[in-house]
Amino acid sequence: MGTTKKYWKGIDELKETPAYLEGRDQEFPQSMSVDEFLGDESLNEASTGRRDFLKFLGFSVAAATLASCEAPVTKAIPYVIKPENVTPGMPTWYASTYYDGASYASILVKTREGRPIFVKGNPDFGFTKGNVNPQIVASVLSLYDSTKLKGPKFKGAEKANWSADIDAPIKSELASIKAKGGKIVFVTNTIISPALKAAIEKFKATYGTEGNFEHIQYDAVSYAGIRKANELSFGKNVIPDYDFSKAKTIVSVGADFLGSWLMSVEYQAQYGETRNPDAAWMSKHFQFESNMSVTGTASDYRAMIKPSEQAKVLSYILGKFGVRTSVPSDLQKDVAAIADRAVEELKKTRGESVVVAGANDVTVQVLANKLNSVIGAYSTTININNPVNLFASEDEKMYNFAKDLIAGKKTDAIFFYGANPVYTLPNGKEFSKALEGISLSVSFSAYEDETASKCKYITPDLHALEAWNDYAPKANHYSIAQPTIRPLFNAASVVESLLVWSDESVIRGGKDSKVAYRFIRDTYESNAANTVRFDLLVHNSCIDTEKQIASAEFNDAALSNLKYTQPAKGGFEIELYQKAAIGTGLQVGNPWLQEMPDPITKVTWDNYITMNPVQMKKLGYATTYDERHGLNLATVNVNGVELELPVVPSPGQTLDTVGIALGYGRGENGESVGAAAYVTKEYGGFELDENGNKLPVGKNAFKYTSYNNGTFNYYTASDVKKSDKPLYAIAATQIHHTVMGRHSIIKETTLDIYKSTGKEAYNPSNMLVTHHGEVPVSEFDLWEAHPVEKIGHRWAMTIDLNQCYGCGSCLVACQAENNVPVVGKHEVRKGREMAWLRIDRYYSSEQEVATGLKKDRKNFDYDEAELASLNPKVVHMPMMCQHCNHAPCETVCPVAATNHSNEGLNQMAYNRCIGTRYCANNCPYKVRRFNWFNYPSYKKFTQVNPAQDDLGRMVLNPDVTVRTRGVMEKCSFCVQKIQAGKLVAKTEGRPVQDGDVTTACAEVCPSGAIIVGDWNDINSMVRKSSEEKRSYQVLEEIGVKPNVWYKTKVRNDENAELAKVQVDKPVAHHEAEGHETKKHH
Amino acid sequence: MIRKFTNWCVVAVTVMLTAASFDVYSQGETLFKNKCSTCHQIFKDGTGPKLYNVREKWASEGAKEGSIYAWVNNWQKAAATDPYAEQVSKIKPTSMNQFPDLTKEDIDAIFNYVDAQQDPATKVAEGPGGSTDVTVEQESGNTWLWIVAGLIFVTIILTLGGVRRQLSQAVAEKEGGNVNDYPSYGAEVRQWMWKNKIYVGITGLVVTLALLIMGIQALGNINVMEAYQPSQPIDFPHSVHAGINGIDCKYCHNSADKSRTAGIPTVNVCMNCHKQISGNTPEQEAKIKKIYEAAGWDGSEYTGKTKPLVWNKVHVLPDHVYFSHQQHVVVGGVDCKQCHGDMTKQQQTARIVPVEELNKIEGNIPLTKPTLTMGWCIECHSEKGITDGPLSDKKSGYYDEIHRRLMNNDRTLYDKYLKDGKVTVRELGGWECAKCHY
Repeated sequence: MGTTKKYWKGIDELKETPAYLEGRDQEFPQSMSVDEFLGDESLNEASTGRRDFLKFLGFSVAAATLASCEAPVTKAIPYVIKPENVTPGMPTWYASTYYDGASYASILVKTREGRPIFVKGNPDFGFTKGNVNPQIVASVLSLYDSTKLKGPKFKGAEKANWSADIDAPIKSELASIKAKGGKIVFVTNTIISPALKAAIEKFKATYGTEGNFEHIQYDAVSYAGIRKANELSFGKNVIPDYDFSKAKTIVSVGADFLGSWLMSVEYQAQYGETRNPDAAWMSKHFQFESNMSVTGTASDYRAMIKPSEQAKVLSYILGKFGVRTSVPSDLQKDVAAIADRAVEELKKTRGESVVVAGANDVTVQVLANKLNSVIGAYSTTININNPVNLFASEDEKMYNFAKDLIAGKKTDAIFFYGANPVYTLPNGKEFSKALEGISLSVSFSAYEDETASKCKYITPDLHALEAWNDYAPKANHYSIAQPTIRPLFNAASVVESLLVWSDESVIRGGKDSKVAYRFIRDTYESNAANTVRFDLLVHNSCIDTEKQIASAEFNDAALSNLKYTQPAKGGFEIELYQKAAIGTGLQVGNPWLQEMPDPITKVTWDNYITMNPVQMKKLGYATTYDERHGLNLATVNVNGVELELPVVPSPGQTLDTVGIALGYGRGENGESVGAAAYVTKEYGGFELDENGNKLPVGKNAFKYTSYNNGTFNYYTASDVKKSDKPLYAIAATQIHHTVMGRHSIIKETTLDIYKSTGKEAYNPSNMLVTHHGEVPVSEFDLWEAHPVEKIGHRWAMTIDLNQCYGCGSCLVACQAENNVPVVGKHEVRKGREMAWLRIDRYYSSEQEVATGLKKDRKNFDYDEAELASLNPKVVHMPMMCQHCNHAPCETVCPVAATNHSNEGLNQMAYNRCIGTRYCANNCPYKVRRFNWFNYPSYKKFTQVNPAQDDLGRMVLNPDVTVRTRGVMEKCSFCVQKIQAGKLVAKTEGRPVQDGDVTTACAEVCPSGAIIVGDWNDINSMVRKSSEEKRSYQVLEEIGVKPNVWYKTKVRNDENAELAKVQVDKPVAHHEAEGHETKKHH
Repeated sequence: MIRKFTNWCVVAVTVMLTAASFDVYSQGETLFKNKCSTCHQIFKDGTGPKLYNVREKWASEGAKEGSIYAWVNNWQKAAATDPYAEQVSKIKPTSMNQFPDLTKEDIDAIFNYVDAQQDPATKVAEGPGGSTDVTVEQESGNTWLWIVAGLIFVTIILTLGGVRRQLSQAVAEKEGGNVNDYPSYGAEVRQWMWKNKIYVGITGLVVTLALLIMGIQALGNINVMEAYQPSQPIDFPHSVHAGINGIDCKYCHNSADKSRTAGIPTVNVCMNCHKQISGNTPEQEAKIKKIYEAAGWDGSEYTGKTKPLVWNKVHVLPDHVYFSHQQHVVVGGVDCKQCHGDMTKQQQTARIVPVEELNKIEGNIPLTKPTLTMGWCIECHSEKGITDGPLSDKKSGYYDEIHRRLMNNDRTLYDKYLKDGKVTVRELGGWECAKCHY
């Protein structure tokens, strides 16, 4: 390939450590499994002698033979009265809406025989345009979490009867509180449901006395800074409606807007629209951040700053626009250079750019507002007149309330909904003690979690997929969530509970209750402005009304009162961030999310400190790790709270800063927060701490949040002390399944090169030098071609590296669709994760090595490569079975269990597989997975694999086989969906069209990076996409002819190194040479 | 047949007794079936009350004369004029249809027909019973007899030979002759084999190989499901429903054309008919009662206390097999009887029909492998042609496109496919693993 960049997946690969090499050459470390087998203690306990063993063997063989002659009796139980919209064996889809306090999306839920089994975005309705995030996709498994409360609780005892045991005492207590004029407090997450708001109002009218009713909205991660800043700048306490799709220049200062910042689900698609190099323009994206975030990996220019420097960056840029503020603007040279570049672009694209800032800090946000108003963003990319109703956290109110409560100021009743302050408050421990003194404390949590377990009553709310809900996420948007399953447990909608308590005439309806439904419908229909029929609203799941026109006048008075405190010198600044899978820890008990590798570090099942490997080396930390070698632990101490966590190398992390993810360490005092939230032992069962409590996964970093200047802040500073304890085992998918340093895997170029040169410059064909000159590799065949190009279908996929941010939705979707087992930390550590689809994250450095040259001392300097890794560029590459038409795996299978279909699929017949694993050894892409254990029944996986739980099993897709021990598996291109799609076309009597056939990963991809279709249809999207100039096949030179194409990553930056190499080749020269050689013969 | 015949006899006798003309009687039957039988039964209360001897009943209970005819024409009018009719109108909440077109003669014809019927409950007690004999074909055991006889015969010969030999040996011993002149059979055979070792070796090899091959083939024909006929909670006779009553398969198995499963009828589908039909014999009543229990039907209304029926699945495919009825029934146009046999004649509960029986059915593609084995499936896939597309009148855009691609891109291959006059399922990938296994 043209580029001479060296790509590497981890420090280990870059440095080629012995352990890495061993792991690389041996994808399936065999010795481990034997050791492990012999190490199983229960084996020694067995007293079976050799003769007995042989006898048992003989008997069991005979028994098995006899048993196989008789078919077991299978029961079939039809419905008594079949629901009208259920056809057994066929999916029923429901349009709904997902909101959990942090993520919001319009969704489609796939149900089979009344069980939701898959969630994807709704592409037809809603401003999220079919986008979801991994947490929303995985929410369907959280529905079936058997550790949820089975019914309401009173003082720790489960009560079956709502009205007698719960409603009556609560009502009488409320009545007496009202009588004495007692204080009632509601602590909730941001409520965007008009009906729930109305229910709370009703409750307030019934029991609240003047001035003695308080409703505090409190989010785990707050964006109050933005609201406050907008109040100062524009007189409106709102979060504006951002539109990245119109932004030609995007400057993000610490905002991970593709991963966790505000409504990232919406922004992903908008951003994707601007990243098409074939469109009229492509956005330029500047990212200033301290942790390497997915947004940072997507950016064109990335500068490393400390969390405290966000205000400085904004002040510096404002300075270049002639706005002087009291905030200092001194920047490091390299940051200033990128900031200058950003200023240049912002000036060029006035009115067509956007600046966002991450810190929940009024000063930073006011500076961002000023900058946005200077560049004219408030009339195009930011609409302050169409506010977003999410993230209305009232930090000041909450902080003062908690402070007063802890100080002993009494409250008579407290209600928690969607908020878990004992876990998320920095002073949660004291807060939980203060709760004990309250006479009436009620939690609506579905789990007996940190806060709920301290409450007298727990009245569990329904899961998002079980309940009716209505939402008004934006001023111009109204949406409905409809239940997709009858409630599993004896829980009740929060709306119902509030109505029952505040209105004598409302009676609970049990599992078939319509109380919440009627109230939501009445709330909607009673508003005269709502003209769309309710059933149509439910069908579409949402409606849009006209947006207010964007315009805003910045009030310069806001700039006069900026507070900037210089952080203390020395130590590390700690940025607290949210991981793509765990977020704020709402679904910490979800094994799919726990096992989803972090987009950047690729670590699963853990919370850790991220540090730049350059700095780690200096401080003597281990920077390489594998299944046998762990990483150093380190302790962080902020205000007396000490956390001990492993230190994971993360290239691109600003020096002298570290990152710690929020959302971990839940249930540290034995609370029940979900099945997968705790550390498991290697052979099943949970690890326990000294108090006999289950050990949570990771540590709670919310303890490090602080309250400053009216908002909660998510960065702090501390020393990081290396611990002397033994190395800590880390389960990462990073160093496994490498592509052996071959350079034709990632192709990257810049927009300038892409626009100014021909395909051969940035995406050269692989040539083979023959005596006829250079001939494209594709013209050589060792085998006779499969007839897939001629007849029938040829299923193919293209993946646009430009549109892949590595968010991970596809990983969870694949796991859900294909019944991929969860294997737990210990197995992931051994490289035995079962995920059919992985996202390879390649760091690049500027290290030069010409194509085809050996990486020896003469032309490749490892030391220099290390320096370059300080702030590397990152490419995410989804990798799954490439369905090679000349598949190397097929030729080595001794039993033809894996073979090629005439539709181009590399098919896998599990029942034929005898588990030789030759295929996996012969796969150049390392995408085959071996079932080392019987995951659905072996005790080792009881705690992690949902298929072992009676309830968790309900999430399994009945169209896909659950594989057993000893067979290979791999991506099937969702063949069940292909078959179903074809059948739709056949029954409708028409050819297969685009959209009939798709895969789970393509369905949930936020930016449409994955296109699937019939390549033999010359008009199909996938055919056209595969024939674009940017398209190439990974490892094309080895001639396996994959059915998956990747599209070259195009960054909108300058790259002198690339520009040197990626130049138009004098094609004629080669031809002439070829002819000449011919003549000589 | 016998029962039908008796019915007709009874009918004929009744006809003569009532001295009505056969025509009128037949008219009464037609009218009853067309107008009344939806709601009324003869001997039992259904949606409407039973009609047997209803004229006498009205007369004896004090109805005005002729009021019953007015009732049939317009029951509301009748109720307004006759206090008895008014009382009747309050029995059932369901309002009866109005039949103003029926003349007095028509109504009498209906009642004549109804009164002429005989209550099956009493009839069964008197009659020879309604059960029809199932003729069981006696399997001829002749072959086995012959083999056993032959074996006995051979054993006798060999034993006799042995005895003779031993006797000769004993004689020889006594007389001091050479004992070895009379070797045992075994020794003789060994000697012979050693002499002809090449032939014996080759024959042995051939026999061993043949046995092996036969063994493997025999394994392929093992079918654990052969003639599987599990017991069922209700002894359901397909012959009555699909056969005598001619109900279409897809009325009950109504997802066969829209899902992977054909669907076991849900109880509410049963109740569509059985709300009216509660059975004519005690056995039938017992069976149908189970449906009522499942549906929570107490004879007049649904109590809401339902109890699902637990059937034993007959056609059980392993979990790693994906079979779609929709694909086969709608797209492939395969008739149910290709795989399930002639259910109109299945008097007992459903079973897996052996392939020999399936092959006898007209229109079925004859197959050799046992029913419901993979061999059986794919054998059909290589026989069955794609019926849609340019080869037939039935147009399908999907297969048209497939044919077009074949024709345009690989004419030789297409011609090769068409040699037998059809493009088979197999030729379009019907033997690919991932068609059924994923």
